[in-house]
Amino acid sequence: MSTDTHAAANRPSALATLIRNPLAGVFVALTAIFAVSAIISPYFMTAYNLSVIARGVAFVGLVTIAQSSLMILGELDLSLGTIGGLCGVVSGMLMVQAGLPWGVALVLALMLGMALGLLNGFLVTALGLHSLVLTIGTAGIYGGAILVLTKGVAITGIPEGIQFLGRGDVLGMPVPFLIMLLVLAVALFLTTRTPIGRYMYAIGNNAAAARMLGIRVDRIRLLVFTLAGGLAALAGMLMVARLGTAQPSIGQAWVLAPIAASVIGGVATTGGVGSPLGAIFGAGIIAIIENIIVLFGVSPYWQGVVSGAIVVLAISFDALSRRYLRRDGA
Amino acid sequence: MAYLEVSGLGRDFPGVTALDGVDLSIELGRTHILAGENGAGKSTLVKILTGSDRASRGSILIEGQDPLEHPDMFRKIAYVPQELSLFPDVSVAENLFMPFDRTGHGGLVSRKRMEAEAQTYLDRFGIEARPSDLVRHISVPDQQLLQIARASTNRDMKVLILDEPTSALTAREVQRVFDVIRGFLDRDHAIVFISHKMEEVFAIGDDYTVLRNGEKVDAGLVAEIDETGLIRAMSGREISIDDHFRPDAAVGETLMQVDGLGGSMFDDVSFALRRGEILGFAGLVGAGRSELMQTIFGFRKARTGRIRVEGRDWRLGDTTSAVAGGMLYLSEERKHHGIFPLLSLRDNIGISVLTLTSGAMGIDFAKERGLVRRVIDNYSIRASGPQQRMSTLSGGNQQKAIIGRAMATTPRILIFDEPTKGIDIRTKAEIYRIMKTLAEEGVGIILISSEMTELRRCASRIITMHGGRITGDFDAATTSTETLVGAIFATDSASDQARTDAEKPHVH
Repeated sequence: MSTDTHAAANRPSALATLIRNPLAGVFVALTAIFAVSAIISPYFMTAYNLSVIARGVAFVGLVTIAQSSLMILGELDLSLGTIGGLCGVVSGMLMVQAGLPWGVALVLALMLGMALGLLNGFLVTALGLHSLVLTIGTAGIYGGAILVLTKGVAITGIPEGIQFLGRGDVLGMPVPFLIMLLVLAVALFLTTRTPIGRYMYAIGNNAAAARMLGIRVDRIRLLVFTLAGGLAALAGMLMVARLGTAQPSIGQAWVLAPIAASVIGGVATTGGVGSPLGAIFGAGIIAIIENIIVLFGVSPYWQGVVSGAIVVLAISFDALSRRYLRRDGA
Repeated sequence: MAYLEVSGLGRDFPGVTALDGVDLSIELGRTHILAGENGAGKSTLVKILTGSDRASRGSILIEGQDPLEHPDMFRKIAYVPQELSLFPDVSVAENLFMPFDRTGHGGLVSRKRMEAEAQTYLDRFGIEARPSDLVRHISVPDQQLLQIARASTNRDMKVLILDEPTSALTAREVQRVFDVIRGFLDRDHAIVFISHKMEEVFAIGDDYTVLRNGEKVDAGLVAEIDETGLIRAMSGREISIDDHFRPDAAVGETLMQVDGLGGSMFDDVSFALRRGEILGFAGLVGAGRSELMQTIFGFRKARTGRIRVEGRDWRLGDTTSAVAGGMLYLSEERKHHGIFPLLSLRDNIGISVLTLTSGAMGIDFAKERGLVRRVIDNYSIRASGPQQRMSTLSGGNQQKAIIGRAMATTPRILIFDEPTKGIDIRTKAEIYRIMKTLAEEGVGIILISSEMTELRRCASRIITMHGGRITGDFDAATTSTETLVGAIFATDSASDQARTDAEKPHVH
């Protein structure tokens, strides 16, 4: 409406811009939950507890970065969890049963993850399938492959050399957490400062319009699916390094939590908006909630109910505040 | 007292006044024209009248009652939006009566009775579809009429607001809509008609109200104002409607040669686009013009034929190579094929110049800001700033952003598909001027338009299409509108192709 004529005169202030920044809400929520936890539990702020949280966030965080990037693109990959699990198991078998040097095993398993991600992307683009439906199927295949390979038994005897990657600390920070931060930095550079990132948002907004501008839509999709598969594999291998065994159950927790974290962090399931940084904030919120539930000694049977309810609350709060902002803003 | 009486209506958004002191009175039995440029406040007013937004001040009285105290009164007002908002995979009858509380069958829906009742509406509105057809499968004009029919199934409805109801229709179908509108008025209803098309305003209007920058600037009887007066009221300045925008440059060598191109919806199409001309394409909705252009652009697959651009073979079926080769297609469907709604104006413009603004270190934001700023200035895009979300810009400004974005890539061939659909007269003139300048700079321009006046004002040459085939190729300056319309309808269609061939020697 006449918004355009009048509004040019009054530019939004820096503070207004900050408040309008979609990341501000989730960051405030994360800070608030952190502060409340620090107050209500004397154990929360201990160095040990914080490193437990950081280490936990690292694994699910890597998958969250992958999933949120796909969601920006308007896609969803439900097989990331089983890709992570399968690649973890395969890396273990390559090290233990094939006796390969662990560096070679890690690289091979990483390539396997990328290949599986690429396969998902290829089936989605070539057949024009909906990624949500397709990856329910491939998740079953990859998950089944884990059981075929392991017969449900963990692979033990993982070389000591790589356990540092999962258990070690550098400068007082867990190694996997540092790796996750590094990956996050790369992902943020990719999404905000490169043409590929811009194309991802454009495709998530309107794939037909993107094609009309000559953007190679399918190629970008394949790329992001491939990278996502690689990140899931990385998470799986770091988990193996942390546990010291390749468990067939690795990755089972990485299906829904990364999606919930992304949504809490402002990444829409419909694509085109949000940032991996917001998604990581979301993952942080979930991790702190789960941690505080444990610290308070909530019965393990009730933990799922409580953490799920808090996630629903967080999302509702976000949706309501967004609606409120939209009503006032033009 | 009028049936609907609005006085002193205002609506403020933070930092912006969208409406201020607007009066409006709607009488039953009359058609009220609501006129104004894009961004004048029409949509905000309509939202308040239908109860989906609230005024900051002022009052509304429907039958003398305040609808804020008697919310049922809002049911007296029905609104048919410009964009199609039907359920495509649901039957015509179900679309008509959804959410079924109007069919009066209690809690259950009887398909038989519903379809029987639907048939009476289809007859009255002249919709050529069966009640059981899926909406996806009926024609666009029928869909547009169905939207109006749906609004009229609400028995409480007294005032029907139609927002550009004819934007996807051709002359004959517009006539159908007008007949429907006139039929309503006999039955003690009022119509509020929003349109940028002057012919329609004067054909159907009784009263008018003009908004400009959120304020009422003029109101009265349509019989007592002429086109120039109305345009002056809307734009606040004198705009000559007789201007021509045909390029003045001499027509140069052939830029693009299309030979025997065939695809879905069109067949055996051959024509040449020359440097320095605006080549118009006229035809009915469904004549295959958009499909033809989208195929040339590589968005759709070609079945037969070939294209040469500047003497070199043109790769078909690949938009990336088309864009790299200097061609851009600006779709009629701004929403579906043009804008990235959730991204900022800056991102929407910047996306097409990333090759210019990015290097090894990623995107150079300062450089991008500069380029975007220049597009916003050159095309006078009105926005609160480059960060404004694209979906919140008015249609005209979205269109200018899309054109500006295309121009930033310095294309050689530009295809405009209905570039002024839903756009006000002043912005239209701006778009015409842009096309003319580009053509004179040597860009080959193709213009698809359903408005004959638009083609006659802008195009150097007009190709007519009917049923997927070219039916004529005319010099725009020397051909009468009647001849063009004849070619569009291909009146004795039994021998389309023979007729075309026979006609060709005469028309060149």
